Amino acid sequence: MPEQDVDTRVKLAIYEITAETGRVPNSSAVSRKIDINESEVVAAFGRLHAKRLLLPEPDDPRRIRMAPPFSGIATAFPVEANGTNYFANCVWDAYGIAAALHCDAISRASDGHTGEPLTLEVKNGQPVLKPYVAHFAVPAAHWWDNLIFT
Amino acid sequence: MLLFRSEETVDMWCAAYNIPRRPLVNLAQLWQLAVHWYGNRLTVESRRPALDEMVSIFSSLGLTGPFWDPKSDQ
Repeated sequence: MPEQDVDTRVKLAIYEITAETGRVPNSSAVSRKIDINESEVVAAFGRLHAKRLLLPEPDDPRRIRMAPPFSGIATAFPVEANGTNYFANCVWDAYGIAAALHCDAISRASDGHTGEPLTLEVKNGQPVLKPYVAHFAVPAAHWWDNLIFT
Repeated sequence: MLLFRSEETVDMWCAAYNIPRRPLVNLAQLWQLAVHWYGNRLTVESRRPALDEMVSIFSSLGLTGPFWDPKSDQ
């Protein structure tokens, strides 16, 4: 197997830890997992951000706010999959967790206006279709301008 | 990106927050977007789709026009 570059090792470690625990790791946890200096991990976070693969916390480059589809903080889109609890960044990412993990999942979300509970579910690898809709407030060209709002 | 029971609650939300009504995506389309974007996210070769790939994915799902053009300034 060819040797992986630092960014790939860091990326895989982020997702492996997240998939296993439901929590997006910080640079310290990634450093321990792949046994490289934490400063190298933080630098890799920055490069992965430039590639639009993750979003570090704006005020702390050692922590990850988003490793899409996973959220580093609690959100209105909790997802249960493989017996583990995750948080997605948005409704797209709620399905994205099932797609990334290749497993069935359930997200107990809610209507963005009324707060009515709405459940998204993936069973046998397919979405359980309901007449719900997702509203995209930001044009595709500007999704990364303010990803937290998007 | 928020979830709504219906177009009616979307309109109520847009009015309440003075946000322009934008395109709506149904759950079948949303699932396909998730599969295209994240299906290989845990693998070595994972990456975000390139701009042209995004256009192709959106178009295959019937999502066309300036809103879905990642190179548009709209």
